[in-house]
Amino acid sequence: MAQKIELPTLGSVYRQAAADAVKSKLSSNGSLKALPKEAVVTEHPGISAEQVEQYRELFGGEAFDGVHRQSLPSVLVHIAAFPVQMALMSRKDFPLPLLGMVHLTNSVEHHKPVYAEQPLEILARAENLRPHRKGTQADIIVEISAEGQLLWSSVSTYLGRGAYMFSRSEHEEVASGSREFSAPSKTALWTLGADTGRKYAAVSGDYNPIHVSGLSAKLLGQPRAIVHGMYSAARMLEGREPESAGHSWSISFEAPVALPGRVAFAAEEKDERTLAFTGWHPKKQRRHFTGELKLPQS
Amino acid sequence: MPADSIRDAVIIGGNRIPFARAHGAYAGASNQDMVTSALNGLIARFGLQGQQLGAVAGGAVLKHSKNFNLMRESVLGTPLDPNTPAYDVQMACATGMEAIGSLANKIKLGQIDSAIGGGVDTVSDAPIVVTDELRGILMEANRAKTMGQRLKALAKIRPGHLAPQAPGTNEPRTGLSMGEHMAITADKWGITRQEQDELALASHKNLAAAYDRGFFDDLVTPFKGVSRDNNLRGDSTIEKLGKLSPVFGKELENPTMTAANSTALTDGAATVLLGSEEWADAHDLPKLANFIDYEEGAVDFVDGEEGLLMAPAYAAARMLKRNNLSFEDFEFFEIHEAFASTVLAQIKAWESEEFCREKLGLEAPLGSIDRSKLNTTGSSLAAGHPFAATGGRIVATLAKLLHGKPGKLGFISVCAAGGQGITAIIEGR
Repeated sequence: MAQKIELPTLGSVYRQAAADAVKSKLSSNGSLKALPKEAVVTEHPGISAEQVEQYRELFGGEAFDGVHRQSLPSVLVHIAAFPVQMALMSRKDFPLPLLGMVHLTNSVEHHKPVYAEQPLEILARAENLRPHRKGTQADIIVEISAEGQLLWSSVSTYLGRGAYMFSRSEHEEVASGSREFSAPSKTALWTLGADTGRKYAAVSGDYNPIHVSGLSAKLLGQPRAIVHGMYSAARMLEGREPESAGHSWSISFEAPVALPGRVAFAAEEKDERTLAFTGWHPKKQRRHFTGELKLPQS
Repeated sequence: MPADSIRDAVIIGGNRIPFARAHGAYAGASNQDMVTSALNGLIARFGLQGQQLGAVAGGAVLKHSKNFNLMRESVLGTPLDPNTPAYDVQMACATGMEAIGSLANKIKLGQIDSAIGGGVDTVSDAPIVVTDELRGILMEANRAKTMGQRLKALAKIRPGHLAPQAPGTNEPRTGLSMGEHMAITADKWGITRQEQDELALASHKNLAAAYDRGFFDDLVTPFKGVSRDNNLRGDSTIEKLGKLSPVFGKELENPTMTAANSTALTDGAATVLLGSEEWADAHDLPKLANFIDYEEGAVDFVDGEEGLLMAPAYAAARMLKRNNLSFEDFEFFEIHEAFASTVLAQIKAWESEEFCREKLGLEAPLGSIDRSKLNTTGSSLAAGHPFAATGGRIVATLAKLLHGKPGKLGFISVCAAGGQGITAIIEGR
């Protein structure tokens, strides 16, 4: 069962979220304890060549010349689907509050290449509402297809911070994510300017105030603006995704990256097909993310 | 072409200006000013006024866009015959070596009879450019056909676009500075602070002693009141060097790289005169050494597969094999001291059975380098390293060291940004 919707704009979604936050969606009677069963689905006219070029200006990398490189990066495909995720999460029957939602992990199966201007069908559904030590988490599944063929699918796990929907013991039993961290040998250093959040917002349309400026982040309780998690994913993957796709990757976010700031980065070959990634604060030895890329068997 | 039709490429001599610490003595000098001065000194020393040479080649790593024809413009400012062709070469810190090596090849093949190769760099007059955003807006305004379109484009300019952009020494694909890259390699090879400081000290002592005995009298011409490389600290001691705090790899358990065992940013220019034997004889010029061979190398450093500055380790193996030589055949070794640890890592790699087997595909290690033959008149830690000028400094120095030692061989290694490097062989005569 799927509800057909128009391709939403993120601006309208955030306005709705702000209005809902005022109304405090988590009502005391706890009536919403389940995820909507219905998926949302929309027709996307295709990722524009202009947006592809904007993405490349931000992340660098080789030119999308239409011959040697035309398969779009996974994170750009995620950007196309993100408003659909948000539309689902802003529905009245979605139990977690949208504002202050934390992106915990993202994993993608990039089955087939996705091209610029290729019309897409994007479906999003929610699954697996479960407790977390700091609230309640849920998975948003996205499936992107063209002409009935599945090209790309992802699982994004979000945490509704402070939304304790299960019994106290059920929340407390969930293992805490903090693990001992000893930094690997870095292979790169990312220098992120104060405008990194705004630049990613300009490409993705995701002007979530927590990312765009220190002032707007403060309104949401963050001392400084933090970078979009998927910005880190995009940098982690840049230049490493195969043109013919067939790869899969994942990223788990830990401490947020405050802006401006620097991220020490390591890419390590685990085996012939697998690269492991780590991003961390170069001075504080705090891990920002871990990730993995699995290439198809050649 | 049969080998016997390849003739010798002779190194006749060199001239450079003293290298000066950045933002100091040469702060008002441009690349063109410095390389022209170095060329003028070379021309005066060897009486080349009015002569038409086969080619002049060189370059700069940090170059203004207006200097697109740097070497040609410089030649036009010298007493050389203006019919002398000139062109720019760029291979990061190996620019000078690449210019000289490829000119030597042209002489060997008989395409040209004479040439000048070299390079120049200034950090004090580095090209400052505008941001990508501002450039995009200005180009859009430039393309506009009406005043309205032009104003609309210019209205997009925001204060943040106006910040000037200085060139960095960071590797574009990793964002790490060269020093940070080297710190990782040094750590991997277990190179100690003590070894690095000792190498740095030897560089200063050797360079100072060479100046004192007049070794550089016919290799260096003063410029802007500077007559010796002003980074040189002949009175330094191992205790003084030991007091400095690390500047690279500070997050490592045991950081070892300091400002003294890493090269300082410097300004300067260096040139080398090459010719065929016949040309040198016809002009009654000295023949210091022959340029025998050179080899370029590159490594995959982007995800840390190999250290950024380790390419010469690979180039050396191929070059030695092609010439059927081993390290024992060499009288002098000139290994560019980008950092003391760069030299030490290369030496350790050549000594390592595992590295030579796994990475170079050799049955036995290339072997040790006799330290008494290494950088005997100092190298970049003492002299400084104006990126593209280093090749010219080394070739002229080594040719002079080998002069009067017919058949004796000298080895050169120069690492470069982008995971590249060059090694070369020259032979005394």
